[in-house]
Amino acid sequence: MSERRPYHRVQPRNWWAQKPYRAYTLRELTGVAVALYGAILLAGLVCLWRGPAAFEAYREWATSNGALLLHLVLLAVMLWHVVTWFQILPKTMPKLILGGRLVAPSTMTAVALAFAVACSIGLLVVVIIIGALS
Amino acid sequence: MKQTTLVRPAPKRTNAPVFWLLFGAGGMLSALFGPALIVITGFMMPRGWGLPANFSDYDHVLAFAQNPFAKLVLLAVIALFFWHGAERIFLTLKDMRAGPLSILRLMTYGVAAVLTLATAVVLLGIGF
Repeated sequence: MSERRPYHRVQPRNWWAQKPYRAYTLRELTGVAVALYGAILLAGLVCLWRGPAAFEAYREWATSNGALLLHLVLLAVMLWHVVTWFQILPKTMPKLILGGRLVAPSTMTAVALAFAVACSIGLLVVVIIIGALS
Repeated sequence: MKQTTLVRPAPKRTNAPVFWLLFGAGGMLSALFGPALIVITGFMMPRGWGLPANFSDYDHVLAFAQNPFAKLVLLAVIALFFWHGAERIFLTLKDMRAGPLSILRLMTYGVAAVLTLATAVVLLGIGF
């Protein structure tokens, strides 16, 4: 029998729901919302493929209160994904040196967030312009 | 003393970078355009906010989905969103020790792969 009796710290089964891991778990679970939104788009495509009647049913579902609530939740989680995604960005990138100075991680997060806001607003504006012209 | 040479075995190749790349691409795409996409398809198109009444009817959406460039955009958005979610769910379940890794991979990467194929098939089925 081994003489070694190392100490094993007890880890509760729900460690991922407790501090300090909770924030990490919440960040990772935003992936569920991203995938679910992809599934909603795919469902729309499937209905489009099946024909006008199926697509009308999809449009009717999309105007329901349940779908509105679901998209509100998805939007909130997606926004949390945007914020946390760009908080991770400096940690996944090599050090950025501009003009002989190290760019602070908070600066990189702020610039990337501003870029993301510009991208999303830009897409909205393009779609509204296309709609107005069509 | 006898000389010995250490022969290091070749490093084991993993397929993790492939999934990591898909995860990163989906994460970046959703971070840049995800909120706008949800606002457009979840609120503006169903409710006609800021868009003409016929913008999201069958004929217009079909014409959009029949455009080859739009097909590529739709495939990229839908498939990469699935792969992004799959990687995050897989790593979370792995950390939670929710089950054998092969089952977890099948439940996440496997589902993403099947849905990616389904998206491609539906997009081709819609025609050009």
